[in-house]
Amino acid sequence: MPVIAWAQGISLGDASVVKKGHVVFLSEESVVEAGKPEVIELQFRVDEGFHINSHTPPDALLIATSFKVDPGDGVKVLGEEYPKGAAFKLGQGADAELLDVYQGVFRVRLRVVAAKGAQTLAGTLRYQACDNAACFPPRSLPVQVAITGK
Amino acid sequence: MRRIGVLAAMGLLVGLLVWAGVYNLRQRRAAMQQAQVVLVKDGTNPPAASGSGSTDASVFGGESLKGKVAPGFTLVDLSGKKVSLADFKGHPVVINFWATYCGPCRLEMPWFQEFSGKYQPQGLIVLGVDQDEDMPRDQVAAGAKKTGVTYPILMPDKGIAKSYALGDYLPQTFYVDKNGTVVEESVGTPSKDEVEANIRKAVGV
Repeated sequence: MPVIAWAQGISLGDASVVKKGHVVFLSEESVVEAGKPEVIELQFRVDEGFHINSHTPPDALLIATSFKVDPGDGVKVLGEEYPKGAAFKLGQGADAELLDVYQGVFRVRLRVVAAKGAQTLAGTLRYQACDNAACFPPRSLPVQVAITGK
Repeated sequence: MRRIGVLAAMGLLVGLLVWAGVYNLRQRRAAMQQAQVVLVKDGTNPPAASGSGSTDASVFGGESLKGKVAPGFTLVDLSGKKVSLADFKGHPVVINFWATYCGPCRLEMPWFQEFSGKYQPQGLIVLGVDQDEDMPRDQVAAGAKKTGVTYPILMPDKGIAKSYALGDYLPQTFYVDKNGTVVEESVGTPSKDEVEANIRKAVGV
């Protein structure tokens, strides 16, 4: 029945197996007071079973998660704040390495000043994902944040 | 009476839609879990000693080279010297693709170092092929040094990832016997015992 085929195509949440980025952007529109410094949160989710390095990995060779704001009008970013990572033990015994990672949902806080009206803040989250046994190349996730200055 | 019939039909349709949506979600979640189970067999931390690497590269989108002749290559090592796979004709060779950002790679590289010594009498050669994108040689050298390996580390070129049908995952390792045939391959970090078993296959003991 066509209606069932259509219904089976309905996504009720995070369902795509083909998803290869392993991080998704979750935030919706932020409403802030126009012309004043306000904090907005960018919410991301790392796929279950995967982790990405925190903003402050314990080793310079590991790729830190960072958010880069694209130049644009309407929203000025005054600063950014990253959450603390969680300890993640890779391996066992003497071979083990302790990582500092984000898993599940994490939030990057931006201190912004937005002009009045509907604005868009564009930026890119750079990160590098692994699971317990393998790693994926560094990725860049383009993000567009809708901000309304009132 | 007719109104009741219409309501019943609508109720049935809504029920059908909800069922179909839930069924779809369950199917996709099950498929996703299965996909992750393939990559991380037990899905727990720590994993490496529990054999999390797959031995079938084709599972990850790459074409399996098992049973085929290892593709030849000529790359440069960290000192700039050219190194060809053909230089090791008649030797069992382990070709390990890794990157400096890859924790599981760094975990297994000391094992390859240890086994390169243990199976040296059998002529074992281990080659590490870096897969960092556009990373200067000195930084790759710093990453390799951190793992303590002294076997040759080779810089990548555009062709080798293609000829070895590497997917998006690291580490990937190919175990080549003395006749030049890939006898085993792994994606992800297997347990140390599995690494040694694969090496023994290549060495023929």
